[in-house]
Amino acid sequence: MRFGPLVVTFLTGATLIAIFFIPHRAAQQTQSVILEWADVVYAFALLLGSISLWLAHQKKVQQRGEGWLYSAVTLTALAGVTFLGVTQGVGGDTIVGKIYDSVNAPLASTMFSLLAFFIASAAFRAFRARNVEATLLLVTAVVMMVGRVSIGEFIWKGFPPLTEWLLDVPNLAAKRAVAIGVGLGAISTALKIILGIDRSYLGRS
Amino acid sequence: MGDTLDTRWFDPARLNLLVGLFVFIAFLAINIRRAHGSRDGLFIRPLAGLKALDEAIGRATEMGRPVLFVPGIGDLSEVGTLAAITISSRVARRVAELGCDLRIPCYDPVVAALVDGTTREAYREANRGDSFRPGSVYYVSATQFAYVASVTGTMLRDRPATNIFMGSFYAESLFLAETGNLTGAIQIAGCDQVTQLPFFVCACDYTLLGEELYAASAYLGREPVQLATIAAQDWAKALAAGMVVLAIILSALGHPWLGRLLQTS
Repeated sequence: MRFGPLVVTFLTGATLIAIFFIPHRAAQQTQSVILEWADVVYAFALLLGSISLWLAHQKKVQQRGEGWLYSAVTLTALAGVTFLGVTQGVGGDTIVGKIYDSVNAPLASTMFSLLAFFIASAAFRAFRARNVEATLLLVTAVVMMVGRVSIGEFIWKGFPPLTEWLLDVPNLAAKRAVAIGVGLGAISTALKIILGIDRSYLGRS
Repeated sequence: MGDTLDTRWFDPARLNLLVGLFVFIAFLAINIRRAHGSRDGLFIRPLAGLKALDEAIGRATEMGRPVLFVPGIGDLSEVGTLAAITISSRVARRVAELGCDLRIPCYDPVVAALVDGTTREAYREANRGDSFRPGSVYYVSATQFAYVASVTGTMLRDRPATNIFMGSFYAESLFLAETGNLTGAIQIAGCDQVTQLPFFVCACDYTLLGEELYAASAYLGREPVQLATIAAQDWAKALAAGMVVLAIILSALGHPWLGRLLQTS
């Protein structure tokens, strides 16, 4: 039995729940300190993660495994950016900042722009009228798409209000039902962990 | 954070939340007692996605291909990530028992460290500690689309037979699920982000909706006490629904006090 981690989890969880109800400055300061500890833990974990990343890709390069050149690029980027960040600092005007703005940001934007194609292929599959539910989804999607563009209003003036109704009534009702379930589920999961009912995060089922 | 000069020891605006918390804890205690007293255990509705988990891992074993578990891009402050960690532990145990290969790419370094530990322990519990491959749980990047590029690359190169997406997902959900769909893998997803659920429903074979993600760990474990937490959750949901309906009726009759009582600050 791992008694120590369970006690730490219980005390930390119970303290943070109590602080939620206590607006006193001492309680709020305690919360800030706990959150700072979390940042420190994150910094150490980031170091561990970087070492794990390095070792995984180093092994691949040494063994010349499939796609080893990508691993070599990763290692070069990791070592290069770390060196530049440590020696010349980070921020908008530094070399690291420039690398971020001219390499990382455009690559991320490129990836994000691909989303439109993924949406198109997923929609094509989902909107096949195979049964009643799928047909309902198809009809709703068509109404939504037509009603949200200006030609929709030109075809029929009722399209824009219909799309608003779809969003504000059936859509919002379903979203709120899921949100209530998620809220209660989150409380239940948190209590399970704080009270030690669920210990699988310690590797014990 | 509240006012740093505040000297009150209790925020009365949150009294309703405190009462709700105690009611929930009471439901939990009652159901744990019920679970211990019941010979057959508490009944919980079967979840198709979790019933298919064994079959999906078995398929990967037969095909000699890996199982890919993606724990989302949330950090430990998100309950969805905690649920994903507990599910990954159950999946790792089953994978170890069947002798299949497992890959878990992580977005958050803290999550990576934790999942690495729970996965090792799961292999040990299955008496297959020597089968655990160091590096099967690995940190990728805390940048959203760099993570997406790495995971989709793994899907296309290694062709996992089973992809399991559990946790908190954002814009990357469709990238991952659609790429996995293109590779022909069996895909099981569970997500607590309402806006991402339609994408998973479109591209995956099975999807756990919202709170089902949190119930998954208890469902897979089948321990009476864990099942009791799901029953308590259902009781709380019924109470919440009843109070909302009652508040609507009372408000319509000109008595909005219950509606105001349910409001939170």
